[in-house]
Amino acid sequence: MKNGTPILEVRGITKRFPGGVVALDHVDFEVRAGEVHAILGENGAGKTTLMNILFGVLQPDEGEIYVYGKRVKFRSPLDAMNLGIGMVHQIRKLIPAHTVLENIILGHPKTGTIINMKKAREEVKALCERYGFKIDLDARVWQLSAGEQQLVEILRALYRGAKILILDEPTSVLTPLEIDSFLNSMKSMAKEGIATIPFVTHKLPEVFAISDRITVLRRGKVVKRLETREATMKALAEYMVGREVLFTLEKPKVKIGEEILRVENVSALNDKGVLALKGVSFSIREGEIFGIAGVAGNGQQELAEVIAGLRKPIGGRIFFKGRDITNTSVLERMKMGIGYIPPERLGVGVIGNFSLVDNILMGIYFDPEFSNKGFLNYKKIRDYAKKYISEFEVVAPSIDTKAAHLSGGNLQRLILARVIPRTSKLLIANSPTVGLDIAATEAVRSRILACKEKGMGVLLISEDLDEVLQLSDRVAPIYEGRFVKILSAEEAKKEVVGAMMAGALSGGV
Amino acid sequence: MVYIQLPKLKRERVVVLTGREAVTISILSLVVAFIIFSGFLMLEGASPIEAYGHIFTFAFNPELGLSTTLHRGFFILFSTLAFIVPMSAGLWNIGMEGQFYLGTIGAFAIAYSFPNLHPALLIPLMLIVGALSGAGYGALAGFLRGKLNVNEVVVTLMLNNIAFWLVYLLTVGGPWAGIAESTSRPLPASAHAPIVWNIPFTSFLAIGIAVILYIFLKYSVLGYQIRVLGNSPVVAKHIGINATKITILVMAIGGAIAGLSGYHMWAGDPAFRLIPRPEAYKAIGDLTYWGILIGLICLLNSIATIPFSVFIGSIIVGSTVLVRRLRLPFGLDVLFLGVISLTFVAFQFFHHYRIKRIRRG
Repeated sequence: MKNGTPILEVRGITKRFPGGVVALDHVDFEVRAGEVHAILGENGAGKTTLMNILFGVLQPDEGEIYVYGKRVKFRSPLDAMNLGIGMVHQIRKLIPAHTVLENIILGHPKTGTIINMKKAREEVKALCERYGFKIDLDARVWQLSAGEQQLVEILRALYRGAKILILDEPTSVLTPLEIDSFLNSMKSMAKEGIATIPFVTHKLPEVFAISDRITVLRRGKVVKRLETREATMKALAEYMVGREVLFTLEKPKVKIGEEILRVENVSALNDKGVLALKGVSFSIREGEIFGIAGVAGNGQQELAEVIAGLRKPIGGRIFFKGRDITNTSVLERMKMGIGYIPPERLGVGVIGNFSLVDNILMGIYFDPEFSNKGFLNYKKIRDYAKKYISEFEVVAPSIDTKAAHLSGGNLQRLILARVIPRTSKLLIANSPTVGLDIAATEAVRSRILACKEKGMGVLLISEDLDEVLQLSDRVAPIYEGRFVKILSAEEAKKEVVGAMMAGALSGGV
Repeated sequence: MVYIQLPKLKRERVVVLTGREAVTISILSLVVAFIIFSGFLMLEGASPIEAYGHIFTFAFNPELGLSTTLHRGFFILFSTLAFIVPMSAGLWNIGMEGQFYLGTIGAFAIAYSFPNLHPALLIPLMLIVGALSGAGYGALAGFLRGKLNVNEVVVTLMLNNIAFWLVYLLTVGGPWAGIAESTSRPLPASAHAPIVWNIPFTSFLAIGIAVILYIFLKYSVLGYQIRVLGNSPVVAKHIGINATKITILVMAIGGAIAGLSGYHMWAGDPAFRLIPRPEAYKAIGDLTYWGILIGLICLLNSIATIPFSVFIGSIIVGSTVLVRRLRLPFGLDVLFLGVISLTFVAFQFFHHYRIKRIRRG
């Protein structure tokens, strides 16, 4: 197929869900061979529904889909795959214990009952050479990095003969170095006439770098179609959110005060009993945001838990305002004014089966102000909950709504409404914006800056390098349980920190 | 070509189950149980309508079964409440049987030691010591779980067996053996439970505990901590709840409630007032397992378990007429109870999943 000819066309797709929700409202766009056509939209814009319709998981109520100019109807993903549509999921659908090759040929119609491994290997090898992919076919999937696993998913789709690839949040879990190699593979696929459709919520810069055209969805409608070279980041974000978005939050000028937290040579084991944190030392002062940049699994999670009191260190000491708190309980630390925002929401930061009030109560249940002789004063608690739920802009029908019904952004706002008002000295924010859309991300970041402005110390842990660099006063890239170096905001250049967190650069800058 | 379109069904996870849905599910499961058992009745040549009529007219007739229905119903209520408290913290107390035996031992030990004490003193003392014995037995499993992370289901289940043999040792040829073979000596008259409106006063104690538990779990600080732990141990850890302390506490509370039922059972029914032969007290001990089912069906709502426990009591008592009055084969009454519990268990599926029909495109 010649590059530039339309191969996928979507016309007037409408999808309604029970309860009158219109997830997609007359959406149309077309994709040409060899182009990268990004679909942008916030959470709830209808991206997932559209993706599911293109891949045959859902059927549209109205509208038509054309592949190579022929009208098609998908009854299941199998139909879509047979017509050359492949999907790369955000949550990997691979078998960790199997090899790369086994994962690629799994489920292929050609594989049949008896597997011809030799032939399959040659075919996959040829595929790799054609697109310039480098991967060890005999490696087990669990040994691979996030980027390599993604490549396996792409290869699996290509091996099935995909000509159109749907990519769900392709860059969200990749490190800066992996993003580069991902962009290269996108280019080589485009050269071979493969059309790719990345669906993107969070990471605009990458989309910007790779796509040829962009379609922006908002509340189920196409609000803008444009060529990438005509677009600006700011304009795109505005199309997505529907209002102006401040991309660079103003870091407030705050006097850095006294030392709040001092961590001395702390080591800790992870859940598997392996040494994950290997002697980390640093301090945080009033009004300071200390950022830790790193790829997940390098000990930052353990560090956050040690400081919050959730994990016992096996070595080292922690001082809070000069007092040794190495062995104090989580509750005592909460009472001292230390707040912790966990990286996961449902089941860690929020109980889905509890109402919003009962979730807010998690931050104050121990406070005698809200109980009387061991019984909860629900009138006071409800007033308190009402106040902070509205102050933190949690959108919900009522404060008695079960938290499970909230979206990701609202869940995070709920956690902030529980933690921040009770945090007076030190906020530990562990991946606070992971999975959130632009509007919610902006809200969370401005809350963190507000904490700084009030003179709190903040420990910010994030895989999102831009976030760490944008908010922090000092940045420590973490790699394999150690800080590579502690950098000032001026020293912390993206390339330097990116290389450090990937382990490619030691402290000698 | 003609296609026959079968509806395509899909299983969907239920995120939040409302009380109304739970009630609908249990009523449906009962209806199904009655329909299934009708099949067995017809197989035996009996009319289901007539049989069910007999069951309930006997169970609720004040002249016949009512007082036993209520007595057994409230006995099951004790077990249910003993299950609910640990379950609210996410722990499976399968040890109500053992805790009931321990409560029996505690109460009887007091009665035999101080037979001449005034009832106003003796009876509360029997209840307290019975509750403490049960509490200690429950706390043992709680300690193993909370401190050493030993699975509480296995521990409580094994402790049940130990408790059974403890009672056996005391009664069959043991220090408490009575004149009749393998039963205990009768309780002194001072230990007999006062009867109010034809039922032992401990029945009202059970209702009182159910109401207190409802308020305790819903509105107390401790009850809140228990519910957080029950919904998510991870969240509980993150907000500074001491899981070890709560684990031991809820198992002790559960054990105490089950322990109280020891006095209620033997001192409350004029037909007993002693510990009967092993197979008879084991049969009563087996009734405690209804607490698990009832607790789960009522979504741990202790007030809702009151009528439900009495209803199960009525079936336990009423179904005996199938054999005695309708001359149906022996064991059919037990089969009915089995059918009901199986359908209840099967319908637990709907507490977690919905079946949805999906339209073909």
